[in-house]
Amino acid sequence: MYTKVILVKDTDLKREDKTREFYTHLLDYLRGSNLHSQIQVVRVADIGVYDKGLVIKILPDKIIYCNVQDSDIKRIVDSTLDQGKIIEDLVFKLKAKQHRLVLRNCGKINPESIEEYIACGGYLGLKKVLGELGQQKLIEEIKLSGIRGRGGAGYPTWMKWNFAREAASTEKFVICNADEGDPGAYMDRSILEGDPHSVVEGLIIAAFAIGAPKGYFYIRAEYPLAVERIHKAIKQAYDFGLLGQNILGSSFNLDIEIRLGAGAFVCGEETALISSIEGKRGTPHPRPPYPSVKGLWGKPTVINNVETLANIPVIISNGGKWFSQIGTQASKGTKVFAVTGKVKNSGLVEIAMGATLREIVMDICGGTLSGKPIKAVQTGGPSGGVIPEALLDTPVDYENLQKLGSIMGSGGMIVMDEDDCMVDIPKFYLGFCVEESCGKCAPCRIGGFQMLGYLKKISEGKGVADDLGQLRRLSLAMQKASLCGLGQTASNPVLSTLKYFEHEYNEHILNKRCPAGKCSNLVTYEIVEDKCKRCGLCVINCPVQAISGGKEEGYLIAQEKCIKCGRCFDVCKFKAISKK
Amino acid sequence: MNKLTPHDLEKMHQASSGASKDWIKVGMSSCGIAAGADDVFNFFIEEVKKRNLQIEIKKCGCAGACYAEPLVEVSVAGLPPVVYGAVNKEVATKILEKHVISKMLVNDCIFEVLG
Repeated sequence: MYTKVILVKDTDLKREDKTREFYTHLLDYLRGSNLHSQIQVVRVADIGVYDKGLVIKILPDKIIYCNVQDSDIKRIVDSTLDQGKIIEDLVFKLKAKQHRLVLRNCGKINPESIEEYIACGGYLGLKKVLGELGQQKLIEEIKLSGIRGRGGAGYPTWMKWNFAREAASTEKFVICNADEGDPGAYMDRSILEGDPHSVVEGLIIAAFAIGAPKGYFYIRAEYPLAVERIHKAIKQAYDFGLLGQNILGSSFNLDIEIRLGAGAFVCGEETALISSIEGKRGTPHPRPPYPSVKGLWGKPTVINNVETLANIPVIISNGGKWFSQIGTQASKGTKVFAVTGKVKNSGLVEIAMGATLREIVMDICGGTLSGKPIKAVQTGGPSGGVIPEALLDTPVDYENLQKLGSIMGSGGMIVMDEDDCMVDIPKFYLGFCVEESCGKCAPCRIGGFQMLGYLKKISEGKGVADDLGQLRRLSLAMQKASLCGLGQTASNPVLSTLKYFEHEYNEHILNKRCPAGKCSNLVTYEIVEDKCKRCGLCVINCPVQAISGGKEEGYLIAQEKCIKCGRCFDVCKFKAISKK
Repeated sequence: MNKLTPHDLEKMHQASSGASKDWIKVGMSSCGIAAGADDVFNFFIEEVKKRNLQIEIKKCGCAGACYAEPLVEVSVAGLPPVVYGAVNKEVATKILEKHVISKMLVNDCIFEVLG
């Protein structure tokens, strides 16, 4: 039986992987000291520390040593393993850590089993609400917690609930907004698939808070597994008497129904979502009146995002005060981000508000996949902005991100390295918004289309200096005059890139050059004579036979034939193709 | 199913805590299934039956490390609970033979050590 485990991993990407070499040396030394039967050495695929040379982790003591050399083996074994002494100059202290509230059960319990959810303390929050708290105290508890909507705008949840509770109406509704549509964001899907009961419980509590007898889940049909699991969860809740008449023996009744969305991005906007549930075309309408006063079928309605609702049961179980101690002054609790793009460990990350972007991207997600420096991070999807590398030390909360010209949004986070073009990125997002614009109001319908035209023009090398001014003017008009959030925020990616990367726009316009080599019209591929080994791989791979020549005289790319696909650049093993 | 009372709920919560058996959990959310978690889950069920092992195979949601799907968490008495990533049938066999039967952690496949 082993008493200790040593995990080994070389985290330096710039050199050859030394994990195996060190593993063998360590094992040899342990054998020599006759410790190999008590200590198991394991090579791991990920040790949770990045770019710190060779890293070892000793369990169960949880000691982490970084930048370990072969010469350190002797002192590690002799002092740490034998005498339990910690070697200070090697110790590494983990800086950033995930803080899992919303994802507390994801990956822990079987999402299709209500028993496992109850075993983890599930529905005890509901029991407390029905038995002890009552409406008034419940809302006070949520107020104390300071939780704000996780869907994007960050409106205080208790205020929404309070407005709807105070509204005099016999009919009220609660809706869970599970219409997640940002490119690259999938936090809500993972919560619905991994822990559906937490969202159901949150929705039941919200319904009780305002006194609504009817609730809806609005989920997009593109999430079949999430729909299936929520469906099962609702059925189980009915079977256990947690939904339906006289919930948990109280006088409170609630029915919940699922409505499928057809995948229109604008239906994530609350007034459009309401129209969609009513069976009408999913287009937004002006606010006020806000849904908490006049919402679904004209009745007071509370709409909360999946992540907000998943937070509610933990807040109730642990108390609002406990929750308010997590996070920053104005933004309480945690936030789940879906980190994607050119990052080593893409996936879901939940951090306490106030952690910096750099901690998320570098310490938790391990930096870029390619090892190239980060250029920028995009948050908030098509409504958000691009934050340059220099500002990555900003603590994440609603206000800070807004100040930088981005938004928290629902939690998409896309990491970009120097190969990403800052004209191409806003072009992509704006293209998405133009496609998804419902067309009801002119600023969004026409403004978006016109802005996209300017961006296309610039990326094709046909831009003129005045275009940037036009882009700014159009952005302002869209922000001020659009009917809903989609149009009001669609220009954010353009404005933020103009703010931080104007030089890159100017390169495109004045010098007709794309520094990242992304905009194909502005790139030329050429063969570098000195480096070319005449292997002929580029000739074979060129789809349009634009490369001529032979092994004797060398090769040449005919620029008029070249379609700038970049195949030759990718296949050349000697970096003999230049991209300018 | 009888409707629960608050008392029943409390009882269910308390009765279930404390039971610790050896288990293997396979992450079965969209991301895991797309990466082949279905096959891995079925493989574990078959192999455990074939080899007559005393270990429970469970399903769970995505734990978040989508880059390393399919994720498999293994908890066996005497070893720290660990998460194996990018599990295929080959790795699954190693997990059963080395981790579950010989009580040794498998090299090169661990993405996280819990607890």
